[in-house]
Amino acid sequence: MAATRGPRPGALLAAALTLPGVVPQAVAQSVPDTGYIQFKYLDYRDWQPGARRMRVENPGLFVLKPLSESLVIEGSLVYDGMSGASPLYFNALSGASGEGVTDYRTAGDVRLTKYFDRFSIGVGVAYSHERDYISRAGSIEVRTWTADKNRTYAFGFAGSADRISADEGAVQGERKNVLDFLFGITQVLSPTSIVQSNITYSRGHGYFTDPYKLLDNRPDHRRILAWLTRYNEHFPSRDGTLQLAYRYIDDSFGADSNMLEVAWVQPLPHGWSVRPSLRYYTQKSAFFYFGPPVGSGLRPGEPYTADTRLSAFGAWTPGILVAKQLDDGWSVDLKLEYYEQRGSWRLGGDGSEGLLPFSARWIQVGVTKTF
Amino acid sequence: MSSSASAQRWACANLKMKALRIVVAGLVIAALGGCASYAPPQAWEKQYLALPAMQFDADKLDAKNIQHVYFSKEGSAGGYGVGGGGCGCN
Amino acid sequence: MAATHEITVDADDAEQARDAVDAAIADVLRIEAKYSRYRDDSVTTAINRAAGLREVAIDAETAALLRYADHCHALSRGHFDITSGVLRRAWDFRSASPRVPDAAEVEALRALVGWEHVQWSGEAVRLELHGMEIDFGGIGKEYAADRAATILQERGIAHALVNLGGDLRAVGGQQGGAPWRIGIRHPRRPASAVVASVDVSDGAIATSGDAERYFEKDGRRYCHLLDACTGMPVSAWQAISVAAPLAVVAGSCSTIAMLLESEAAAFLESQAVAWLGVDANGTLHGTLAQ
Repeated sequence: MAATRGPRPGALLAAALTLPGVVPQAVAQSVPDTGYIQFKYLDYRDWQPGARRMRVENPGLFVLKPLSESLVIEGSLVYDGMSGASPLYFNALSGASGEGVTDYRTAGDVRLTKYFDRFSIGVGVAYSHERDYISRAGSIEVRTWTADKNRTYAFGFAGSADRISADEGAVQGERKNVLDFLFGITQVLSPTSIVQSNITYSRGHGYFTDPYKLLDNRPDHRRILAWLTRYNEHFPSRDGTLQLAYRYIDDSFGADSNMLEVAWVQPLPHGWSVRPSLRYYTQKSAFFYFGPPVGSGLRPGEPYTADTRLSAFGAWTPGILVAKQLDDGWSVDLKLEYYEQRGSWRLGGDGSEGLLPFSARWIQVGVTKTF
Repeated sequence: MSSSASAQRWACANLKMKALRIVVAGLVIAALGGCASYAPPQAWEKQYLALPAMQFDADKLDAKNIQHVYFSKEGSAGGYGVGGGGCGCN
Repeated sequence: MAATHEITVDADDAEQARDAVDAAIADVLRIEAKYSRYRDDSVTTAINRAAGLREVAIDAETAALLRYADHCHALSRGHFDITSGVLRRAWDFRSASPRVPDAAEVEALRALVGWEHVQWSGEAVRLELHGMEIDFGGIGKEYAADRAATILQERGIAHALVNLGGDLRAVGGQQGGAPWRIGIRHPRRPASAVVASVDVSDGAIATSGDAERYFEKDGRRYCHLLDACTGMPVSAWQAISVAAPLAVVAGSCSTIAMLLESEAAAFLESQAVAWLGVDANGTLHGTLAQ
């Protein structure tokens, strides 16, 4: 019991912070107390002037469950039911009348994360299956944080192996393999603000061509460098939160892009909350993209695409999300977003010409239950 | 379109985009500097950070769905995370 | 524990406030039941019944509390000891005619006091000597107050004041910007006088003093705060109040300071907490003394 030295300043406070539940859990550095299950249904429709094109119905389920005080499992299962035609414009579907395709996709993934005192390790697998496309992926993510938990470093690595066979028989057993790397820093700036910046690097080899386009021949490798920065700030006087995101992408296909997104989360009385949002996206065209007429610029053996998704355009997405907290851990949410893509909306001009505007809208309803 | 004219247009667009990129990055950094002072909180001052609106990956299923929509309608994607796997929609 | 427990919430949504308070109260009752030495089915009773016999499996919450008690024991150089409850058998403050025990009685019981006789880990705890007892009373109430504050915040409450028997934890001040105004009772005239007023928006205030349970004999006050090293009540201070970010810290600091007697000021300074002490003569000391 004899003292060899005096108590360290704040030693009791440091000790007290290890007691469970004495302070609210901030950034995700430990296992949540409760799990939850969530069902969402997304109804997507797109069109171009004078023509309806594609419809997707997308139910999905997500579950997160703490398995112990240091282990969490989470997983999702989604189904895409697609019908209609993919962007036409001047493209023609292979063998097509322009009537369209009906396709489905089922995808699932599971991730297990183990938390230690100053770091966590997450391991995940994903599988997706369509009539003509199967993808298998595995990933590992390591996060480590400072003792005061105000800064977190994230390191991620994933690999995916895809197999493509267009069911017209023209394409069989093609593969695409992608390696992804992520490095991210999350920094708490103040009691009411936090910023996260991630760099991801993706290296893909294999079959990138769209088998359903009449004339389409893409390079067999693609490197994408994406830099995403997100910022959240809470304003206690208004009870609201500002969310900002900016992303820059450097793409070896040439479709470099910039994206800016802004949203405001406003809680309302009786458990309601509303989140209006606005996203702007602007993209350069791929170096092998050629505008109408179809086939101009095509040189044998050289990459070529007339796919409008690789053209130069700008796109706006205004949206709104309304949510309501119910009793017993239930909550519901409804999201409505409208999307329009135009060559003329490209930042700085120089958008691809000769394209019709492309519009889409999606509605997503969700139900969540914590347990 | 002749190839030298189109090459010139590419060069101009490149420079414009580069400049634009720097401006936006600068705005973002300035916003970070201006919006909030750098005063990392103590453990007992983090109640606002616990709000779902303040967390980056609060709604994973929504993020999955929405990123998938953008992946199938736009040329490039990424930055949010790794390991989702691929699909035939792009 | 017949003291006032009160949770005050400032909010616009009455339903949300009620739900949050219900959840907070449920957790306070859960902790009280889990660690009460008066309940047959509590963790404390199970551990004490197995003293000198076998080890008892514990969960993460109990292990965390034991770890915290260990810190308190070390920082107080042994004067604060959660095994010192057995001394109650000699010092009976509830009795109608309490008496001062003789030295032999106290020494006999002191043989059963000693944190060094507690073997504990993250999974189990064992009291080595038959007749030993542990008691979470000195930590449990403040721990419950902090948890209640967290539960309220997690349910969207931004302005609250949790008061568990005089151990207070404040969240967000009052709506509109004014802090919660806390009055510290005078230890000798608790019903009528206040020695200081403290404004707290976020943080805790706890008071430890000789007026909670005591008896007086021959002009001398014997209070319930027993020094584990001597087995005797402390007497250097009438009361010490501490303001700290967490109730559990405020509570432990005030109790340890009372037990350290003449070294209280140095200890409180080293923990970087604000405090107010009323010494045996009624003189005010500390950073909160106005």
